[in-house]
Amino acid sequence: MNIGTRKILDRSFTAVGIGSIVVMAIALMIVVVPIITNGIGAVFFTGTVEHRKMLFSEFKRGDSENLSSEVASSNRYRAKVYGMLTGFEAELETMAPEKKAEYQAKYSEVRAALQALLGPLPGDPEPMLTRFKYGQTRWEKAEEKLHDLLYESKWDNSNPEVMAKEYFVSRAIGFQGTSLVKLFPYVKDNFEEILLPEFTFYWGFITDSSVDSHFFGGIWPEIQGTFFLAIGAMLFAFPLGVVAAVYFTEYARPGFLNSMLRSANSTLAGVPSIVFGMFGLAFFINTLKVSESKSVIAGALTLAIMILPTIIRAAEEAILAVPKTYREASLSLGSTKWNTIATVILPAALPGIITGGIISLGRAAGETAPIIFTAAVSVGSAIGLADVLTSPTPALSWNIYNLASEHEAAAQIRHVQYGMVLALVSIVLMLNLSAIVLRARISKKLKG
Amino acid sequence: MAGESGGESNRTNAFVVSARKRTMQKVAKKAGESLLFTVASFVAVIVLFIFYFVARDAVPFFQIRGFTEFFTSSNWYPADDPGEFGALAIIYGSLMVTLGSALIAVPMGVAAAICLSDILPFSIRQYAKPIIEMLAAIPSVAFGFFALVVLAPLLQNNGGPMLMWAWWILVSPFMLLAVIVLSDLLTTKIIEPKRRQQLHIFLLILFSFLSIFLLFKVGTVLYGIQILTGTNALNVSIILSFMALPTIVSVSEDALQAVGRDIREGSYALGATRAETILKTVLPAGSSGILAAVILGIMRALGETMVVWMASGNSSQIPEPWFNYLQSIRTLTATIAGDMGEADQVTGSARFHVLFAMGLLLLVISFISNLISERIVVRQRKILSGQ
Repeated sequence: MNIGTRKILDRSFTAVGIGSIVVMAIALMIVVVPIITNGIGAVFFTGTVEHRKMLFSEFKRGDSENLSSEVASSNRYRAKVYGMLTGFEAELETMAPEKKAEYQAKYSEVRAALQALLGPLPGDPEPMLTRFKYGQTRWEKAEEKLHDLLYESKWDNSNPEVMAKEYFVSRAIGFQGTSLVKLFPYVKDNFEEILLPEFTFYWGFITDSSVDSHFFGGIWPEIQGTFFLAIGAMLFAFPLGVVAAVYFTEYARPGFLNSMLRSANSTLAGVPSIVFGMFGLAFFINTLKVSESKSVIAGALTLAIMILPTIIRAAEEAILAVPKTYREASLSLGSTKWNTIATVILPAALPGIITGGIISLGRAAGETAPIIFTAAVSVGSAIGLADVLTSPTPALSWNIYNLASEHEAAAQIRHVQYGMVLALVSIVLMLNLSAIVLRARISKKLKG
Repeated sequence: MAGESGGESNRTNAFVVSARKRTMQKVAKKAGESLLFTVASFVAVIVLFIFYFVARDAVPFFQIRGFTEFFTSSNWYPADDPGEFGALAIIYGSLMVTLGSALIAVPMGVAAAICLSDILPFSIRQYAKPIIEMLAAIPSVAFGFFALVVLAPLLQNNGGPMLMWAWWILVSPFMLLAVIVLSDLLTTKIIEPKRRQQLHIFLLILFSFLSIFLLFKVGTVLYGIQILTGTNALNVSIILSFMALPTIVSVSEDALQAVGRDIREGSYALGATRAETILKTVLPAGSSGILAAVILGIMRALGETMVVWMASGNSSQIPEPWFNYLQSIRTLTATIAGDMGEADQVTGSARFHVLFAMGLLLLVISFISNLISERIVVRQRKILSGQ
């Protein structure tokens, strides 16, 4: 081959390597950036007067005088809308029967759109579900609903070769010649006066319980459940893992038994997470009966088994990284082996062991599959520390799945889902970042 | 020791130990050591327990229904009465997404590992490693959420153009490279310089036109593809490859680091470029370690639950044609996760036990591949240290 071609090949080889690392960084960005930007929207957003109404009546938060003046000014503008509705209803009565039936269908669509936008209309019965008691609490959602009110969505099926396309027709055209035609421009022009948008910092998203299966309110029960599960798993796995690591590094003699134990450790590390969940169900709940059915303790035990191999490996590495001179100095002063381990080696290895522990804590917090059958419920309030032994808990990881895939109105509460994902990802990444920083400091220290 | 220092026992107290105390210490030492051993062997006990308890609930299924239906039929109607439990399509779905993610993750992961171990200077490597760790740390459910809420609608609405752009961006650099190398290789035999140059230029132009034609032809075909559902095997394969990458990169980087400097220096001394050194000496020497890395990465993709449960579409079917990644599939892990909730009320039925049969299948596959990868790593270490 030509020297030139060989050089080109060499350069492009380098480019492929660097390119794949760049692609990984971009992949990380592509996944994390929408989660962060949309997740922040769960806490910082433009809230409407409906949001402040909801906060006041569900959580007793906010200034009641201020709120009542806002509601009064909003109601002044809404009254005109309601007046147009009653006017059109009277007009409907005077129409010919077939014309009336035609308008009736269209009118009920308009009413439904208005209900979604503003909450119950005058004359409506008190709704059973909290989600129907208020109009749109978020400005961007309100704008979507306004679009639904102004335009009717239709599907273009004319070309069977391609997928049907959605297009929009103005509803006002359908009401041409009636009194209701004025409603559409009125709502559009006075939209801000009706809903009074205002920049909102809803810190309650972190500390509130959810109202009506996450339509309103926050995610505190999930955050608390995640902490219970992850810390519970650490309480079991950390001591066990450190002791096992001490055995492997200080006492184990090479041989068949030792290699068996090591194989067992790597096998455990490779078991698919869902199998841990099945094992937790079959062993902790159905056989040991640590609790009647799902419970935090069963979930924590299952997670503990899952993170045990990681902790053992990290602790082993940390212990092996302690310089030999420490050990020799301690032994030469006449202390026993056990003394050396307890007073010299473990303290020196502690930062490294804790680093491994932090990473495992993050993994326990983020895993979903092991807790599906052992600990997680989709709806529930925060549980007290005393209920840990008997009751299941909502947890961030499981509820993200549940809200995104199984919730009856998953598309309407995207902001809550994003907020939850951001909470989970930031907990896990924060733990990992602190582990990375800690490790960098240790390696500096050990180098001297 | 007690006899020797009897005269000055007061001063050397610390070193004087009576015979009784010594036996006590010995016993304590033995007891402590066996306690440590007990804790360490706890891991092995857990592994045995996992096998036992999963198998205990899996065996009744094979007793009731036998093996044939499970492995050869793809009729999955567990809720019917009588139910049908053919898991072939589900096993196929698992293998399909695993293969798909391996096709993306293995070349990228090995290239990144080479880059980290041989190409990048230390100062940049320090920043590249945390990126990989962060990618490994992101919870699977967050990836699943991304796949379901962001990637699936994108694929469904702009699938064809996205495929076309991916094809152009990924393939055109390699095409260019192939054109240069091919035209060079075909002309090396000709000795006369002038004729060689003419032929070289002619071939360059010819191959360029051919490759541009191919790029556009395939690009337009891809552009016309309509993806009917965004929750499909392609979506899952892409996300799973992100999740398998960190494992592949870090384990194969270790394997490449284990290949000594002397091999590399020998190759450089013979006049090889860096690419030739890595491709012809370092990679073959570290190949078994890289194989172990690939096995571990693949296992991560096969055992992953949340992403496939959320974004694979969960339809138990073998795609038409069999390599069609744009259709929905269903995997073993997602079936276990999804069906357990409905099945665990009726413990004892085939519907409950079939899920454990699937779990046992996953467990056995992961156990075997772990053993293999471990053997490979141990053998490589022996060979490299023996040299």
